[in-house]
Amino acid sequence: MTDINIIIEEMAIGSADKSAKILTFKGQLDETNVDEKAKEIYALIEQTPKNLYLLFDFENLEYMNSKSIGYLTDWYSKVTEGGGKVVIAKARPNILDILEVVGLTQLVSCFPTLDEAKLALLS
Amino acid sequence: METNNGMPDGSPKGLTQENIPKNDQVIEITITLPTQAYFLSGIRDFTLNLIKNTSDFSEQWAYRFQSIVDELCNNAIEHGSRGGDLISIVFQNAPSEYIQILVSDHGSGNTHMKAEEINKIVNERREQNILNGLIRGRGLPKIVSEWTDELEFMNNPDGGITVRVRKYLNDPKFQKEIGGGLENPSHIVLN
Repeated sequence: MTDINIIIEEMAIGSADKSAKILTFKGQLDETNVDEKAKEIYALIEQTPKNLYLLFDFENLEYMNSKSIGYLTDWYSKVTEGGGKVVIAKARPNILDILEVVGLTQLVSCFPTLDEAKLALLS
Repeated sequence: METNNGMPDGSPKGLTQENIPKNDQVIEITITLPTQAYFLSGIRDFTLNLIKNTSDFSEQWAYRFQSIVDELCNNAIEHGSRGGDLISIVFQNAPSEYIQILVSDHGSGNTHMKAEEINKIVNERREQNILNGLIRGRGLPKIVSEWTDELEFMNNPDGGITVRVRKYLNDPKFQKEIGGGLENPSHIVLN
């Protein structure tokens, strides 16, 4: 299995009716690991079906395949249906390129820094 | 240190200045791969380095080819093959002209399709909205199709499929308008 590590951390936002989390990816998302890792994100979304705010930190994400983009699109749909929001921060040029070619950057805003992404997520 | 054939000491036997492919020759590399996705990270690394080091395509395109090859191989493994089978990948590099890649399976997979069926599905999905509710189905129509100039599906005599893709380095026929200018695969810049 290709190496991928996802760390999920709570973001302090001072609001009782919202939950915000940073998901930090390190490694490559491909056919060997994406189904297994996707379960963790679905579990997170199921725990907080309403007002969930997710920031995906892709600084150390080296590769993602089309299936992982499919999951990302599905997470976006589920989170926004529940009144939440999804943003991406610090994606590498090759990751931005593939997100752009499939049209995902039209749905999910991408930011070059964590601060900008946090600001956009909670605004 | 050089040997008497003009090559550095330690070079593979038989390799001489004369038989290194010249710029106008097509370099062909064939890899046969067991049908396990486990091996694809190595193929991605190989593809990235091959394009970076032996072609005039930019680094951005090296990463794009990495995705193209990964998607083609995944499809060949998932749909065209059963466990224990083999797929083959052929890289053809005409350094100043194009990169062509062919991925073949034996058609032994449970969800195997004919070339005509795949072509139809790819054409239908090209225009689909990203929010189509599907996890799969973006590889060929959205990534491979968008990043190549030629995409062809062929039925093999053994029942399998060969997918052929080609990207030209500088063919005006295939140049696209990007950011107000024409795309140049050797110097492309993200917006």
